Amino acid sequence: MRCLILGYGYMGRTRHQLLKGHSAVKAIGIFDPYIDPKKENIQQEYLNSPDIPWDAFDAVFVCTPNHVTAQYVIEGLKHCGNVFCEKPPGRNWEELCGIDEAASARPDHTLVFGFNHRLHPSVQTAKAFIGKGGLGEVLYMKGSYGKSGGSKYRESWRNHRATSGGGILLDQGIHMLDIFQFFLGPLQVVDAVLADLFWKCDVEDNAYVLLKSEKGQPAFLHSSATLWKHTFHFEIGCQDGYLTASGLLTKSGSYGREKLVIGRRQFEEEAFALGNPREEIIYFDRDESWQKEIDEFLQAVQEKRQATYGTLTEAKQVMALIRDVYQRTQRG
Amino acid sequence: MSIRGRKGVNMQSVQTSHLFSLAGVKPLEGLLRYRDHCLVATEKALAHCNQRRRVSPCSGEELKQWKKVGKFEYFRCEASGSLFLADLPEPDIWADLLREVSRYRDSSKTFHQEIRPSRAENVLKPKLTWIKNVLRLHNIQNASILEVVTPPSDLTPFLKKCNYFGEVLTVDESDLLKQETIRNHAFHTALLLESLDRIYDPKNLLQVTSQHLKKGGLIFVTALVSSGFDMMLLQEKNIYLFPPDRTNCFSRKGLEQLLEKSGFELLEVSTPGILDVEIVKAHLKQGASISLSTFERALLDAPEEVCNDFQAFLQKSELSSFARIVGRKK
Repeated sequence: MRCLILGYGYMGRTRHQLLKGHSAVKAIGIFDPYIDPKKENIQQEYLNSPDIPWDAFDAVFVCTPNHVTAQYVIEGLKHCGNVFCEKPPGRNWEELCGIDEAASARPDHTLVFGFNHRLHPSVQTAKAFIGKGGLGEVLYMKGSYGKSGGSKYRESWRNHRATSGGGILLDQGIHMLDIFQFFLGPLQVVDAVLADLFWKCDVEDNAYVLLKSEKGQPAFLHSSATLWKHTFHFEIGCQDGYLTASGLLTKSGSYGREKLVIGRRQFEEEAFALGNPREEIIYFDRDESWQKEIDEFLQAVQEKRQATYGTLTEAKQVMALIRDVYQRTQRG
Repeated sequence: MSIRGRKGVNMQSVQTSHLFSLAGVKPLEGLLRYRDHCLVATEKALAHCNQRRRVSPCSGEELKQWKKVGKFEYFRCEASGSLFLADLPEPDIWADLLREVSRYRDSSKTFHQEIRPSRAENVLKPKLTWIKNVLRLHNIQNASILEVVTPPSDLTPFLKKCNYFGEVLTVDESDLLKQETIRNHAFHTALLLESLDRIYDPKNLLQVTSQHLKKGGLIFVTALVSSGFDMMLLQEKNIYLFPPDRTNCFSRKGLEQLLEKSGFELLEVSTPGILDVEIVKAHLKQGASISLSTFERALLDAPEEVCNDFQAFLQKSELSSFARIVGRKK
């Protein structure tokens, strides 16, 4: 398979590394007019032409800033039919609708969105414990995902409304919303509060979102760009126990060691002290989420089918939530 | 691309708020009679045609002299810190010895009968939960299980009654070594719960077990490890170190090396032991002459809460002497 990477920032480089070693990939092209291919040591793969040679490729990886994402995904669908798009799937609901339209016009397409967090080991392991896995049905979820921003925060395209389409909710919070839906199914927004009290970039630096599932299970998200200690944390309360995931395997390690606490409900007759049940903590040291995403996408392309995760339907569900939050708080 | 922590191991498990007493699972006082029986039986077995072990099954390097446990000399693998009984008789004699002490352990003559309910609750059921959870995580349903053990095994009835697994076949580890037990069978899962600690040829046992696993099949290993706190502190004075049950006392690193050399990818390496601190305290109470530093003494004399926190630290730091490993056949 011949793969084209559009955009050679952090995610473009990440996808390049993964594709380089993949047995299904025969050739790679990289398009990014803003980089020096010599400096990046990608002269062989780099496409110098100002025009993208779409027809020379079987699959496209869109790793660009948000303002051109939808445009490239639509072009990719039109020419190649197979597109992997980093999150978010466009700047807003309207751009995603454009993608949806292009996908409908190309029925044989394979389209995947990069929501890799649900493939992290703590999330996958938590999923295995839910329901018949021993902890019963989910009663509620709470999640907190945040970063400290950093001294170049205001300069980043991620925080320019015209380029990104939104603030921390669209940037990081979208992952936690996807995880909520992974466990609870489709959600709706009950209430939300957005704030921009510290960075003052005209996009939210904190988002508080209250949601509920079709079964009435509540979920609460705090997405933040003012968590001075980088945080990834979610809790799942179940009928027969609870799960607490925290830390996230990343290159920098700044979110801490990824772990999952599994607790089983014990009342007075089963435990020495009520409210202090037996717990198991699982630490994870290997993250294969990006590899799994790529494997699934390439296999789906080869088998001419849709992927099993990161689908357009899931992307629409999560973007509808963000649309509703922005509308509700009149920041959209 | 995967982000890998220590040596690419997938995960490590720690148990918290899960406390039980040493007396409930392997009481020191009760163990002594069983231990004496084992030592006498081993001495008899070694009276026949001994073979001196020369090479570490973990590193392949020459074994060095370590210390004596009673009358029995142990060697050490310098590269991994694993310990090995220096002399062994012929394999058949060793197999007979293992069967004899296993029958004795299961008889009314030892403490094991008295603490059966407590061991079921605190040792066997958690092991069963561990196996089920790992299989669930790897989406293996109705797993066929090869239990490699010197029968009788307390775990067998739990495996068969829980209605979670497919076929459960229990085989004598010594028979399996001779490849006499089963042929042309590919299991989803193999259990070697403390088998590697006592078997004549641990490297070969892993290789033979692997032959009976499907590609991608899982192996579950538990062991007492020499790299654990009580083992490191008590060394040859540790009452729990004796042949034939601890003919091999691998370090955590040694076990990892052995499994990897035998074609397994490590999925979990944990030392979720709960009793290290209590074991050392029990030895001191029995009057064992152990040289402790001021810090070690202060730690062992500290309030229960501090000791519990320290035990949790040992688990997290892979420094407890109870190890459990899950490997996947490549």
